[in-house]
Amino acid sequence: MKFAYAVWAGTLMLAATAAWGQGAKVTDAQIAQIVVTANQVDIDAGKLAETKATNPDVKAFGQRMVTDHTGVNKSAVELVTKLHVTPEPSATSQALQKGGDENLAALKKLSGAAFDKAYIDHEVAYHEQVLSALDKTLIPDATNADLKALLVKVRPAFVDHLQHAKQLQAQLGK
Amino acid sequence: MLGSAALASSSAAEPKTKTHTVVIENMQFNPATLTVAKGERVVWVNKDLFPHTVTADNKAFDSKDVAANASWTYVAAKAGEYPYGCTLHPTMKAKLIVK
Repeated sequence: MKFAYAVWAGTLMLAATAAWGQGAKVTDAQIAQIVVTANQVDIDAGKLAETKATNPDVKAFGQRMVTDHTGVNKSAVELVTKLHVTPEPSATSQALQKGGDENLAALKKLSGAAFDKAYIDHEVAYHEQVLSALDKTLIPDATNADLKALLVKVRPAFVDHLQHAKQLQAQLGK
Repeated sequence: MLGSAALASSSAAEPKTKTHTVVIENMQFNPATLTVAKGERVVWVNKDLFPHTVTADNKAFDSKDVAANASWTYVAAKAGEYPYGCTLHPTMKAKLIVK
């Protein structure tokens, strides 16, 4: 589903422009909210895929996203609680939430192979964009050492998920 | 009392089996290649934030899900080379060599 992909990529680019276009740094409190929201929207999409996907590999991927991103969010929440940081909304976290909501709405209208393909296409785009945000903004801008360490620690999971999603994308395209 | 006495005598009587540790962290098995002698133990410790598995490509061993901060122990019973990976995360690959 090219439409959902384009909307998502557009949303993230907009988010990047709005929040970081002027070279404005994001604060740790904003990073915390971006991390929680980014994980949560992928958990929500994964839960939908657990119930709606037809291809068993796509269904399993959805389950994996729910489990892995829940694990990451648990650690993120534990860390911000320990650091007494209150996650703070920003243009980026709001755009992420909006993009996630729009993706869910688009996916809910689909079924069968069309759902599987749209979900996986979006997962590829999502993980690419989050990796880009991690590398260009979130990791460089994080000031608290523990927060930075958490971002560095979760990065390989996004790389694995992206490769996994790309494998499924190629498999579905056959 | 009985239990601890039995435990103490058994650990004193038997030579300790060597135990090797593989750390699972940042979506990698470390060390990626491990060579052990037959009969030795290997403990995989999952330091990631979510479950992994330790599964031989030929299914000679399969931990099933190992939760975050949990570990799984395997006694290397049979000689051979065992490429293995995590079935949940297809990019994770490693090798156990049993001499």
